Amino acid sequence: MSELPKVGIISCSGEDCPGGNISREATLKVLHDLRPEETATICLPLFLAGGEGERGFAKRFPTITVDGCGKLCAAIGTTRFSNKPSVEINLEDYPDFSTLKTEEKWHIQESSSNLVEKLATDIANHVDKIRNTSE
Amino acid sequence: MSEAKKIVIPCSGIGKAFGTVSREATYQLTETGHQEEYRTVCLPLLVAGNQDAIDLLKKSKVYTIDGCPKKCATLSVERTGIDVTMEVMIPKVLAKNTDHKPGTVRDIGPNGVFLAKDIVNIILEEGSD
Repeated sequence: MSELPKVGIISCSGEDCPGGNISREATLKVLHDLRPEETATICLPLFLAGGEGERGFAKRFPTITVDGCGKLCAAIGTTRFSNKPSVEINLEDYPDFSTLKTEEKWHIQESSSNLVEKLATDIANHVDKIRNTSE
Repeated sequence: MSEAKKIVIPCSGIGKAFGTVSREATYQLTETGHQEEYRTVCLPLLVAGNQDAIDLLKKSKVYTIDGCPKKCATLSVERTGIDVTMEVMIPKVLAKNTDHKPGTVRDIGPNGVFLAKDIVNIILEEGSD
């Protein structure tokens, strides 16, 4: 397992976007619970604030971006400063997201927690696929 | 995007509890009692080069909250050519009240919420007109 490359997961933080909390929470779940040994992350703003080392992140790792809205900041920022992501996830593509009430999007509640689980599972599956194709 | 006089931007660092504390402080400011005066903008919009976000910041006072010396929030704003009105470095805030050491990035706990409140108070006091 350690022979395979780690997969970088870059989440939008979406402070002013209701999907930001869900994308961040799902990313943390993958990093800490589902695939802790197989994944790595970087703070998205480090692409702008950091140096060449940080900007090489998506060149070193195959990368999954997780965005909370259609502005796709994580995907655009990663592509702009580092490299094109292997997978770009947009929370708005999940039908369950559009049916959530505004409050459920902003604050993780039972229904939004279910979406966090689903999103995290999808991210983890993408991690596995990327690593398997690297074999 | 609506007009706003004061924009608070947290680093939201995903690797450390301070990143979550920065978000908590931002939401305390923008959702609880001060929303008429303060709002936030997604920091990733600056990374993506969103012109609407940059234009809004140009017209506003900008307060940044950073959780580590990499100062992502502050530097990301400054690299778009915008001056930061005030930057808050969380470790320095914690150093003044070590009882408010937060838990983890996923659960900052009550002490983390108190630390966020410390940050809010600093911005309200020192950032007032």
